[in-house]
Amino acid sequence: MLNYFPNTSVTHGMGAQFRPFAIQMVTKMGFQFSSMLIALLTIMLGSGAIASELESGLIQGVLARPIHRYQYILGKLGGLVILVCTYATLLFSLILVIGALFGLSTITSLTFSQIMAGWLLYLLLPVAVLCLTLFGSVSLKAVSNGILMIFIYILGSVGGMVEMIGQYVNNNSVIGTGIFISLVSPFQTIYSTMEGVMVPNSELAATAMSASSISGSGKPASLWMFVYFAIYMLGFVMLAIRKFSRKDIT
Amino acid sequence: MIIETHALTKKYGNKTACDQINLSVEAGQVYGFLGRNGAGKSTCIKMLTGLVFPTSGSGTVLGRPLGDVSAREKMGYLPELFRYQDWMTGLDLLNFHAQLIKLKNKKDQIGRILKLVGLDGQEKYKVGSYSKGMQQRIGLACALLSNPQLIFLDEPTSALDPIGRKDVRDIIVALKKEGATVFLNSHLLSEVEAVCDSVTFIHKGSVVKSARMDELLMTKISLTIRAQGITEELFSTLNKQHESLQKLADGSLTVTLNDYEEIPSLAASLISKGVTLYELTPHRETLETVFMQIVGEEG
Repeated sequence: MLNYFPNTSVTHGMGAQFRPFAIQMVTKMGFQFSSMLIALLTIMLGSGAIASELESGLIQGVLARPIHRYQYILGKLGGLVILVCTYATLLFSLILVIGALFGLSTITSLTFSQIMAGWLLYLLLPVAVLCLTLFGSVSLKAVSNGILMIFIYILGSVGGMVEMIGQYVNNNSVIGTGIFISLVSPFQTIYSTMEGVMVPNSELAATAMSASSISGSGKPASLWMFVYFAIYMLGFVMLAIRKFSRKDIT
Repeated sequence: MIIETHALTKKYGNKTACDQINLSVEAGQVYGFLGRNGAGKSTCIKMLTGLVFPTSGSGTVLGRPLGDVSAREKMGYLPELFRYQDWMTGLDLLNFHAQLIKLKNKKDQIGRILKLVGLDGQEKYKVGSYSKGMQQRIGLACALLSNPQLIFLDEPTSALDPIGRKDVRDIIVALKKEGATVFLNSHLLSEVEAVCDSVTFIHKGSVVKSARMDELLMTKISLTIRAQGITEELFSTLNKQHESLQKLADGSLTVTLNDYEEIPSLAASLISKGVTLYELTPHRETLETVFMQIVGEEG
């Protein structure tokens, strides 16, 4: 894509005006693809974290020890958070390094505070996915949980698209449905917020990305949305603890 | 009492796994918990170890209510379906459990336990590469790591060869000598008979009998008689004296006596009536026969 739209300093044709757009597209695709990869990896790790140990009976020897059930859940959560955050940080750094090596202006022009905010938001996505997946792991079999979590994750992308269609056709109920889906699966909103911080849109790029992306535009999160993210994550961890604390280990 | 339960009940939907279980286990005993497959033994053990929550009823283990976390500090448990982290080495697994129980003198204790269960020198191999018997031994090592006062062993010898079984029997006897209480669930009745002080029989989720082992086995003697010349009249006469007298399909007779001292008088009585004796074999009741009687009677 970068080759197709050559640098302005080399040629002065139609391609030159699209080069910044191409750079934005490539950067966004990098972040989108990697965040999707992280989310799927998180689902793979989290879906069987507790469910597979319940199914195999491995958990019995551990829970017969003097530990509380909530400690078990928090221990699993802590370990998985460290693992996915380490992996996400590596991937995030790799995107920045590759972008800088290719001299992408979207990367080279980033400020330190942008990188830090973007990194934290980039980490927020797998952590949010993990909180939901862990609750699923307490409630469902590993395979069923994995399938359901992938469905919910994809649903979030559809939510943004439904909201966008609602805005296009000016239909409040469709917009409401889109918002509801985004609340059930707020992962696309988290991603959009990160993307907004790391790759602020040019007008052309915004229009083109909205039109081309199957995930819809997805609005950056407001302050209240961040409060919602916190409640969402904490809520699912609490639900997982509550459910697990009453579960018979058979 | 180290274990005491009152009307402990567990239901899964409409199915009752344990029904009104009342147990009283004295400290320092080896306590056998017997029953057929699906009788509710493992469910009961899981309620006592806090893995399963009772639907109703109550109980205490080590003086604490069921499910109390602090009671588990002094408790060891070998599950029936033992599965351990197979990516860990035996040593890693024991270190992991030592951390869970905040064990002091970790190195010495792990070394001692490895020797005890016969895995000394095998601890650097991955648990996944262990044979089933070795996995059961490492499970036993995990259960014994904290020097527990109370140990629940759910089928501890199911994967072991005869030597392994003897080793486990010796460990159980050694634990008893050290003052620990062992709650043993096993289908190997000869094993239970050899080590247990008391037993409880459970059938279809309910306790059908609890007794001390000596009381259970030493009460009666079964006698097999092979003889010639026992007429119907003589049989009726003998049956009046011994109600338990039965004629078997092969023509021999069995009778249950209360004492060994009754055997010579019975023999003398038969001979005096012209009976030719070929065989007179006393059988001490085994746990197996008692089990068959108790559980068999219940259907």
